[in-house]
Amino acid sequence: MRGTLNDQSLIYLQIARMLEDDILRGVYREEEQVPSTNELARGYNINPATAAKGINLLVAEDILYKKRGIGMFVSPGAGEIVQKKRKAAFYDGFVKPLVKEGASLALTGEELLAMVDQAIKEGEHK
Amino acid sequence: MNAAILNAQGVCKSYGKNEVLHDLDLTIEPGKIYGLIGRNGAGKTTLLGILTAQNTMDRGSVTYGGQSVWENQAVLDQMCFSRELQATLFSGQNNLKVKHYLKTAAIYYPNWDQAYADKLLSEFKLEPKKKICQLSKGQMSMVTILIALASRAPLTILDEPAAGLDVVMRERFYQLLLEDFSETGRTFIVSTHIIEEAASVFEQVIILDQGRILENRPTEELVDQFRYISGREDVVDAVCNGLEVLSTHQMSRHKTVAVRGDRIKLAEAQNADVDVSPMNLQNVFVALCGHGDTQ
Repeated sequence: MRGTLNDQSLIYLQIARMLEDDILRGVYREEEQVPSTNELARGYNINPATAAKGINLLVAEDILYKKRGIGMFVSPGAGEIVQKKRKAAFYDGFVKPLVKEGASLALTGEELLAMVDQAIKEGEHK
Repeated sequence: MNAAILNAQGVCKSYGKNEVLHDLDLTIEPGKIYGLIGRNGAGKTTLLGILTAQNTMDRGSVTYGGQSVWENQAVLDQMCFSRELQATLFSGQNNLKVKHYLKTAAIYYPNWDQAYADKLLSEFKLEPKKKICQLSKGQMSMVTILIALASRAPLTILDEPAAGLDVVMRERFYQLLLEDFSETGRTFIVSTHIIEEAASVFEQVIILDQGRILENRPTEELVDQFRYISGREDVVDAVCNGLEVLSTHQMSRHKTVAVRGDRIKLAEAQNADVDVSPMNLQNVFVALCGHGDTQ
């Protein structure tokens, strides 16, 4: 697990997000073990309770599960769960701010959609 | 809720006519790392001294596991308060050597871990034969850190351990603290002025301001109650209705405010035409304890 912590959001959320990113990228595959609370605490110089909170968040969402006495593992189907979760957050985190920023620039709905269309086409050419 | 390990109630303390602690209550739960932050002269060291019965109080009570701490050897054996070292003692230089401090600590703390102390001594490159007055400020901090960690006391208190340490050494200190905490789960109280880099180490933060406890709660829970909101004056004012405004900066019609509120109210602010950004612990501390000094 790489990446560094910033102070733009709560640390346990960042820990959860970094683990999710690594699951999407295949750093941790299904049924593989993820770093323990203490490893995370040491790796990022954070309180173990904070690291545990991040892991527990993912356990509550069935992305990780606990093997008693061994550690935390990636659940089967975890990648799909993360993707689904991210899609839901995409609307609030990206689409809504996009529309809001568009409105403050006095872009019409059509103009905005045309720009999105163009960006999609440009992306396809690459 | 865990049972409190250390409990202070109604603590008052004056130096002459100057009352430094006002009817202060504090509860410390076991197995956590507490950060104690407060401005210069807020009463941090006085409070830590009283909690460990090294300092008298005028009124109030301090108990550890239900027993009064005052002149109670059995209870005091469970605690280590590693004070800042001074280059001068009474009227002269502090001619005591590092090894004298370590020897005293080994006798004084029943759980003293000599092997750990030796390991830290060589890691910190401290010369046992050196006099305290010959050490740099950072090296003095290292001696206090060494004593605190090797004391293995169930309640360990460090007063300004980061003072004078360079940035590499400070990071190493937090690592050592977390390593020891992961192994032993003992309770730590750490006071510091270097807030932001320590924020992620503290599970719980205690803010002491002008002799009163302003906050004692989980660090992230506290930080999450605060935001900066900025935008056009009238829109910002409308959004802040119902939120506690702590400080305001204004440049013509552009206004930035520091606010405190519950999650739902803060989420609502996100929908208006304003910029909402989070605070870190240092920002929160300035907002709560700045008292307008920064403007």
